[in-house]
Amino acid sequence: MPPRRDGRRNEETRPLSLTFESLARVDGSARFSFGNTSALASVSGPIEVRLAAEHPSEATFEVAVRPLSNVPATESKAIASAIRATLEPSLILTKNPRSLVQLVVQALSPSAKHTWNTTLAAAMINACSLALLNASSVPMRGVVAAVAVCHSITGTILVDPSDDELVDVKSCGCFAFIFADQVGVDDSRSDCVWTSWKSSGGLDEAEILKAKEMAQRSAQTIYRALRKAVANACGLEVDESMTPEEGKSESEESEDKMII
Amino acid sequence: MAAPPTAASLSSQSPNLSHLSQEALEELKASVFQRLHPKVYLEKYLDENVRPDGRGASDWRNVEVNVGSISTADGSALVRMGNTTVVCGVKAEIAEPELDREGDGFLVPNLDLPAMCSPRFKPGPPSEEAQVLSNRLNETLVASNFLPVSTLCIQKSKAAWVIYLDATCINYDGNAFDATLLAMVAALRNTTLPQATYNEDLNKTFCLRKAPRVSLQLAASVPLSMSFGIFDSRVVLADPTSFEEPLLESTITVILGDKNKVVTITQVGSAFVIDDGEVGDENDSNSSEGFNKRADSLPVCIQAARLRREELLVVLNKV
Repeated sequence: MPPRRDGRRNEETRPLSLTFESLARVDGSARFSFGNTSALASVSGPIEVRLAAEHPSEATFEVAVRPLSNVPATESKAIASAIRATLEPSLILTKNPRSLVQLVVQALSPSAKHTWNTTLAAAMINACSLALLNASSVPMRGVVAAVAVCHSITGTILVDPSDDELVDVKSCGCFAFIFADQVGVDDSRSDCVWTSWKSSGGLDEAEILKAKEMAQRSAQTIYRALRKAVANACGLEVDESMTPEEGKSESEESEDKMII
Repeated sequence: MAAPPTAASLSSQSPNLSHLSQEALEELKASVFQRLHPKVYLEKYLDENVRPDGRGASDWRNVEVNVGSISTADGSALVRMGNTTVVCGVKAEIAEPELDREGDGFLVPNLDLPAMCSPRFKPGPPSEEAQVLSNRLNETLVASNFLPVSTLCIQKSKAAWVIYLDATCINYDGNAFDATLLAMVAALRNTTLPQATYNEDLNKTFCLRKAPRVSLQLAASVPLSMSFGIFDSRVVLADPTSFEEPLLESTITVILGDKNKVVTITQVGSAFVIDDGEVGDENDSNSSEGFNKRADSLPVCIQAARLRREELLVVLNKV
C-alpha cells in the first residue's frame, strides 16, 4: 500500500487540535481542527426565541454557517441544514420548550472551490459537539463525532484526506456517528447519524460500507479526543484503562469507575 | 393515545353539520383526526401495512414525464411523481470561461419552491429548503458529470455556453428532490443548442440560425435519485408524501448511475430500524433487549433503489 504524502497510515487522521475559545458573549465555544482544516463553533442557549420560531413543546434549534470569505451563500445553507439534522438527535430539546438554541459555525479554512468540503464539514460538526459540551446548558443524549473519508483513484480508502489528496480522488464522503457513555466507544454499536457520500466514478455498495467501517473507528478516536479535551478543561483525568481489546463484557463490569 | 372524534360527537357539538350524510361525517372525522394527530394517524395505517394513499411501505408513486412542452426554451421537461409536479426549462447563453478553467462552460441548476406549490412556502426570497435542494442538485450533477462542462466550450478562454437549468415546483406533495432531478435529466436530454462559432477577428461568437441544432453531449450514465424515509425506527417508507415527510425521523437518498454504480448517498438521521423478526441467538452481553434486533436499513434501501431505477429508465427512454 503506497504511503500517503504526509506519511500517515490510511486510517490515521491529521493531528487533531481541540481548544476552547472562551468567547465572552456566548454560552459555549470551541475550535476543532484536522491539521489545517479548522472550524470555530459557538453555542448560545437556551435563550429567548422570536415568536415566529417558537415551539410549544421543545426548544428551537438553529444553525448558521459562515464561510471564511464572502457572504453565506447556498452552500453555507446546505451545510447548516446538514449540521442541524446531524446534531438534533443528540440534543434533548424537549427540556426547554419555547426557547432557542443557536449554533453559529465559522469556517476558519477556505472552502474548496470545485469539490465538496467534506473535511470542513466534519471539522464543523466536531467543533459544534465540543462547543455544546463546553456550554453544558443543553441536555444531550450523546456526542456526535464526524470524519471525512475518501476513495483515492488507486482504490485505497483514506481517512481524513488532506487538501492535496482531495484533488485527485474517485469519491469522498463524510460520516457522523453518535456516541454515548459506554455505547459505541469501544465497539461498533454507535449509530451513524449522517452520511453524505459523493462519487465521480461510481462506486459499489460494498466499498461504501467498508469506508463507513473505517470512518466509525476513526470517529471513536475523535470521540476519545473530545472527552479528553473536556476532562482536561475541568482538570480531571480520563479513565484510559478501558482499552478496545478488553471487549464489551469488561466495559459493563467496570461501571463503578468514573467515566466522563 | 388520543380518542378519535366520533361522528356523533361532531354532529352534536356543531349543529350545522347535521346536513351531512353519515359517510361525509366519517370522512370529516378522519380528516380532523389526521390534522390533530398526524403521527398516530400514520401509525394506524402502517399497522395495517398500508399508507394513507393506499401504497405499501416500499411502493413508489406513478411517474409521468413530458418533454419539449416549452417552445421558448432550449429544452424542457415536466415530471409528475404522484401529485408532486415539477417543470424544468433549459436556457443557454454565451459567456467567457473562468481564468483557471478556460476549457469549461457552466451548468447552473436551480429549484424554486414558490408559494403556489404548498401552503408551507411563503412568498418572498427562496426558502432554506429551496436553497438546500438547489445545492444538492448542483452537487449531484457535478459529481455524476452527466453534462461534462468541457463539452460546453466554444473557444478556449474566449467563449463557452452557460446552461441555466431552472426547475419550478408547481405542486408539492413530498419528494421534490427526486422529481426535480428526473426533470432536469429529461430536460437536458431534450435540449438542443444552435451551432456556435467564434470569430477571432471580430472577437464575437456567431450562431448559425439556419443550421440544424445540436444536442448536448451527455454522459451515458444517467443519475437517478430514489428517496426513502424511516418512520418511528420501524418502517422504511419509499417516496414519502408531504404528509409523511415531517413525521419521518430519518431520510435516505440514493442516487445511482448506470450499472448500479452509486453516485451519491445521503443519509440524515439514524438508519437503524428495529427488526421485529427472530430474536438474536448469540449469547450477547448486550444489556439492552431490543438491540440485537436492530438492522441497518441502508443496504435494503440501495437494493430497492436499484429496482426502481430500472423502472424510471424505462419511463425516461420512452419520451
